[in-house]
Amino acid sequence: MKIPFTKKRFSIFLLLFLVFCLTSCSDSTRQKGGDQGQSQPKHIVYRLKWLFNASVVGDIWAKEKGVFELAGLTVEVKEGGPEQDAIKDLELGRAHFGVASADQVIRAAAKGAPVLVVAQLFQKNPLQWIYRCDQVHINSPQDLKKYRIGVTFGGNDEAILLALLSKYHLDPQNLDLYAVHYDFNPFWKGLVNLWPVYRNTQGILLSHKMAKIGEKACFFDPTRYGIKFVANSVVTSQAIYDQHPELVVRFVKALLKAWADALSEENLENAVALLKRYAPETPKPILEEQIRATRTLVLPDGVAMPGMIDMAAWRQTEQIMVDQQLIDKPVKIERLLKPPLL
Amino acid sequence: MPFIQRFLQFLGIYITGVMTLWGVKYFFGLSDYLVPPPLELLEVAASDGIRDLLAAANTMLVAVAGHFVAVLLATFVAIIGRSSTLAGNLTRMAAFNLQAYPVVAIAPIIFLFLGDGLASRLLIASLICYFPLLLSFIGIFSQPVDEVEHFFKATGRLNISLELKIRTFENLDKLITVIVGSGTTAMVGTIVAEFLAATQGVGYVIRKALYQSNLAKILIALFLIGLFSSIYLSLLEGCGKLVKKRMIGI
Amino acid sequence: MFLRLSKLSYTYPNSDQPIFQDLNWDLEGPGFFSLFGFSGVGKSTLAKIASGDITGYTGHRTTSDSATLLYSHNNERIPGWQTVSEHIAQVTPPQKARLCREIAERFSITANMDRRFARLSMGQKNRVNVLRYILQDFDLLIGDEILANVDEPTRNLILFEIKKLFPDKTFLYISHNALEVVKFSKIIFVLPQTPDGIVTKVLTMPGLDEHAGGETDPRNVERMVFSLLKMAGSGEA
Repeated sequence: MKIPFTKKRFSIFLLLFLVFCLTSCSDSTRQKGGDQGQSQPKHIVYRLKWLFNASVVGDIWAKEKGVFELAGLTVEVKEGGPEQDAIKDLELGRAHFGVASADQVIRAAAKGAPVLVVAQLFQKNPLQWIYRCDQVHINSPQDLKKYRIGVTFGGNDEAILLALLSKYHLDPQNLDLYAVHYDFNPFWKGLVNLWPVYRNTQGILLSHKMAKIGEKACFFDPTRYGIKFVANSVVTSQAIYDQHPELVVRFVKALLKAWADALSEENLENAVALLKRYAPETPKPILEEQIRATRTLVLPDGVAMPGMIDMAAWRQTEQIMVDQQLIDKPVKIERLLKPPLL
Repeated sequence: MPFIQRFLQFLGIYITGVMTLWGVKYFFGLSDYLVPPPLELLEVAASDGIRDLLAAANTMLVAVAGHFVAVLLATFVAIIGRSSTLAGNLTRMAAFNLQAYPVVAIAPIIFLFLGDGLASRLLIASLICYFPLLLSFIGIFSQPVDEVEHFFKATGRLNISLELKIRTFENLDKLITVIVGSGTTAMVGTIVAEFLAATQGVGYVIRKALYQSNLAKILIALFLIGLFSSIYLSLLEGCGKLVKKRMIGI
Repeated sequence: MFLRLSKLSYTYPNSDQPIFQDLNWDLEGPGFFSLFGFSGVGKSTLAKIASGDITGYTGHRTTSDSATLLYSHNNERIPGWQTVSEHIAQVTPPQKARLCREIAERFSITANMDRRFARLSMGQKNRVNVLRYILQDFDLLIGDEILANVDEPTRNLILFEIKKLFPDKTFLYISHNALEVVKFSKIIFVLPQTPDGIVTKVLTMPGLDEHAGGETDPRNVERMVFSLLKMAGSGEA
C-alpha cells in the first residue's frame, strides 16, 4: 500500500528526531540546567583531552593513588582523543569535569557554551617545533623564512604560528608551510624541516628515534618569543559550579594535589611505574624523561603550585583568536576563569 | 532518476535532519557550540561557501576519476577472472578474499608511500569501489546466456568478444545499477581518504572543522557532499540510459 | 546422414536414477522425422545428446563423417541490440540471401524484419528462429518445440515448406502434437513412459510423411494418432 506523501515525510522526521534524541541526549544530568535541585552526583566523570600519556600523569595519579577516594569522590577518568570534546560532554551531561585547551574554551564560550575554567594545568604550552640541529639554525623567528614548516591547518599550532608571524611582521604567504596530518613521514624523509610536536610527549619520543640514527633534535619554542597560548585546563559546567560548589572545591583540590605528587622528584619512580601501565609500549626511561618534561610545563620555574590561572596568558590567547578571526569578538575571559581555591 | 528529483530527495532528508537538530537544540536549550543556529550556518556558507564548493568539486573529480579507473580495471580483470584457467581461478580467489578487507584501513599506508597528493586519493577512491565492481563483473561475464549464445555456439560463431557483448547486454540493468552504486562508494572512499591524510578536498575541510569543533562548517560540507553525489549519480544514470537507448533503441 | 546411439546410459547431475539405460537408437536420413513422448520422458535430453550439446553419458554416439548437427529450442533469442534483418543478414551465407527473402515471405515475417526481437509476438519469434537455423549449413537439424507458439495453419505451412525446400536434409522434430507428428513425419521415434522412469528403448512407427497438396484419409490419421499415444503411454506397439 502506498503511503501518502505527508505521512511518509512525517515518519522520516519522527525517526530522525528519535535517533538524534537517543544518541545525543543522556538520561543523566540535563545540559544547561545540570543537576538542578538534584543531590550531588555520586559517580563523577572526568573527561581528558587526549589519550593516556605523560600529559595526564597527574590525572591518572589522582585516580590510581586514591587521591580522589580520599577526598570522598568516586571518579571515572575517561580517555580523550581526536573525536572527543570535553566541553560537549559537559553540556550533554556526559561528564562533570574535563580537560580542554584555552582555544577550545574560548571558542565554546563565544558560542554560548556554559563552560568555566577551574584550574590551568599547563603553565606553558607544550606545542613546539622539532628540527634537526645540524640542518636548521634558528636564532630568531625571521629565520623561519628559510625553512619548510609543518603546520596543522585548523589546529592550534596554526594559531600559535600565525600569532608569532604576526608579532614579528612575517607574512605567512612568504613562508613555506606544509600541511601536517597524522604521520611523521615527511619529517623523517626530510621533506619538512620543522614539525609540530608536543614537547613533553612526542618531542621526547622523536628525539630518541633521531638519536638512534645519529641526529640531534632541537626545539623551536614559541613561548620564548612571547607567544603565550594557554593549553590544558580543567573545566566544568556552569550548572555543576553553581549547584555543587563544594564538589568543585573538593575535586580541584584533590586533582591539584595529585598533580603535585605525581610530578615530585621523590615520586618519579612510582609515577613512571603508574604511567607504564597506561602506556605499556613506551620504555620506562622515556616515560621518566616525559614526566620530567611535563613538570617543566606544569610547574615551571617560579610556580610553586599546579593549577594557577595565568590571566595575562588567557588574555593573550583570547586576543590571538580575535585577531585571527577565530572568534567574532572577545568573550570577557575573566568571567570564565573561576578557580575555586582562591 | 533525474538530477532534480534525486537532489530534491536528498534536500528533503538533509533539511529534515537539520530541522531535527534544531528542534532538539531549542527543546533542550543546547548552546550554539553544540548545535549551530541557522544564522551561523548561513554565515559560514556565505564566508566559506565558494571555497568549500571548490573543495567538494575537487573531491568529486577525484572520485569520478578513481571510479572510472576502477570500472576499467574491473572490466579487464573480470574478463580474465571469468575463465576457468589457472589465471582465472587465481583472479577469482584473490578477488573474493581481498574484497573483505576494508580499504580505508590501508589508506594511511598508501599515504605513507605515495604522499598526500592526487595519486593517493585516486588510488584509494579506485580501490574502494574496485572489488565490489570486480565481483559483480565476474559474475556477469561468467554466467552464460544460453537463449542467445546457443545459436552462435552451435554454428561456430561464438567468440570471446561476442560472448562478452551478449552477457553485457543481457545484464545491462544490473551493470548500470552496480556502477551507479559504486559511484557513491567512490565518493565515500575519497572523502575518508582526505579526512585521514590529504590536504585537499571536502574530507580535509571536515577534518579542519573537527579540529575547531565547527559543526556549522561540517553541516555545510555534508550539504555539498550530498549535492555533488546527486550530480554524479544522476550523470551515471543518464549515461546508463543513453547506453541502453543506443543498444536497445528504447 | 546417419546418427547412431548405442548402449546409451545417462543420469542427470545430482540424480541417483538414470533416465536412459542401454538405449539404442538409429536415425538414417534424409527426411523429416519426429521424436515423440509425454512430458518429462527425456526427449530434449536425448536430442541434446544426439546433437552433442550434452556429454557425460556412457555408450557410443556415431554420426556420418563431418556431419553438422544443430539443435534448436523455442526459448532462443537473437541479440537484443540487433533488428531481425540485421541479425538474419549477419548469419545468412551470402549465397542464400535470395532464399532467405523467399522463406521470410512465406513465413510471413517480412513485415517484422526491421523490429527488434523483444517486440515480436511469441509466434513471430519462433518463426524468426526457425528461419535463421534452416539457412545454416547442416546435415541434421533438431527442432525442439520450435513452433510451439505458432498457430496451426502457419505451422503446417512452415513444415510443408521445410520439407519442400530441403528434401536432402534431415530433420528431427520434437513436438507434443501427435496429429502433427503423424502427418509430417517419415518415421516417428517414440520414447515410452515406464513405471520406473528409465527408458531403455526407442520405439518407432511410420508416419504419413505428408507433403503439400497431398490428401489423407482422416480415419487413418485418427488410427495412427491413437497408436502413437498408446505407444508413448505404455510402450505397446
